[in-house]
Amino acid sequence: MITIDGVIRVRGRTRVLHEVSFTARPGRVTGFLGPNGAGKTSTLRVLLGLDRPQGGTVLIDGRRYADHDRPLTVAGALLDGSGAHRSRSARAHLRWVAASNGLPRSRVGEVLDLVGLGAEAGKRAGRFSLGMSRRLGLATALLGDPPVLILDEPVNGLDPAGIRWMRTFLRDSAAAGRTVLLSSHLMGELAETVDDVVIIDRGRVVASGELAEVIGGHATLEDAFLAKTGSEGVSW
Amino acid sequence: MVSLLDAELRKLLGLRTAWVGLLVGFLAAPALVFVSAGGTRRAIAEGLYTDSSDLGFQTLGIGVLGAMILGVVTVSSEYTPTGEDAPGARQLTATLAAMPRRARLLTAKGAALTLVVAVQGLVTTVATLALTRLVHGSLVPSPAPGRLAGAVLYWVLIGLLAYALTLIFRNGIVTLTVLVVNSSIVSVSYLLTKVTSAAVYLPDIVGAHLFLNEVGDHDVAPVTAGLVMAAWVAALLALAGWLFGRRDA
Repeated sequence: MITIDGVIRVRGRTRVLHEVSFTARPGRVTGFLGPNGAGKTSTLRVLLGLDRPQGGTVLIDGRRYADHDRPLTVAGALLDGSGAHRSRSARAHLRWVAASNGLPRSRVGEVLDLVGLGAEAGKRAGRFSLGMSRRLGLATALLGDPPVLILDEPVNGLDPAGIRWMRTFLRDSAAAGRTVLLSSHLMGELAETVDDVVIIDRGRVVASGELAEVIGGHATLEDAFLAKTGSEGVSW
Repeated sequence: MVSLLDAELRKLLGLRTAWVGLLVGFLAAPALVFVSAGGTRRAIAEGLYTDSSDLGFQTLGIGVLGAMILGVVTVSSEYTPTGEDAPGARQLTATLAAMPRRARLLTAKGAALTLVVAVQGLVTTVATLALTRLVHGSLVPSPAPGRLAGAVLYWVLIGLLAYALTLIFRNGIVTLTVLVVNSSIVSVSYLLTKVTSAAVYLPDIVGAHLFLNEVGDHDVAPVTAGLVMAAWVAALLALAGWLFGRRDA
């Protein structure tokens, strides 16, 4: 369960988040949608304690992320890139992450196989393609087998087979009772994966609820999104 | 805390640049004993050395570069971009996701660094002093244990100084340039001691009094030197910790 309540974030003189509030529930995939620069990544970084908010609270299973003793067993996060130093092998990267949270070494091989990187375990992260980096990032998020997954644009850089794999993986995770929160600016992709939707635009949540509710009278999620973010009729 | 230390040791020792630091630290000073053997022998014969007990210890200065490199890379590796396709992505994100309590993270990182640098300092100091005895024989008195301990402490404090500065600058190149230029090419700190005797208490100058009898024109007792340098390092670490706790990652 993720609870985000009244989060305010100011960068320089710009207010990038205006009292953002929503929840992501267990057993469901929550899509956090918005145009580029709307505040999706900012919100997720605040949620993980990477950036500090100027107001509001962010809780994962009732506590702030940093207040959990072994945080990787509570929530796994996939942000930009793999998070692995270029000179480290995928295996070496995962081993230190596992050590930091007292996770068994055997988890390293398991998550590498799970994301399809078993054969690349000894390869240096600096030589990974974008798609492989994303997979390594996901493997890192899954190390602690956490009940909560937080994924920033998870399908970015994946090939069609990878996108299909990710979709199935996310659905299966929710079916197994996990809380899945993922951000995206790709509507078509999301409509097939998410149960709940939160739409953010210019730092404000403009719609949230179950998928059908948010689509409402519009033909598709994309139409609903464009109507709610006021980007309809933008001339290219 | 043990698991955090374990993770930070793995991270540090898994970096190729850290091994450059380790090798420089281990090899440079002992190698210098051999390279400079002829010149040193002549200098002793001509009576240029008033205190030959400084002999092996003086050579150690170059090896401290290894401690500096280790102190720098343990932090700079966190800030290096992980790839071209994600310019903002750095290891720091993975680090803070795994170890979000920042004060504990910095403590574990500093402890891992201290451990590695202390071992490096001890091995190098013993090896360098033994080699000096081997090369120059009875011309060099056998080293006092207190001075050996002082040299290892200096080694560790230099590593922690580099660690604190890199945390403050968030950039390894800046720290390394400042430290290396100041310690080897033009020592601004040393030149300052010619202007004001207060400069004797700058961290890099005062630390040398921990294990050398003759440094510049001023005398500082080893215990005073250790306390002053430790105070400098503690203050810089406190500043670094405060900044790291407040900054966005």
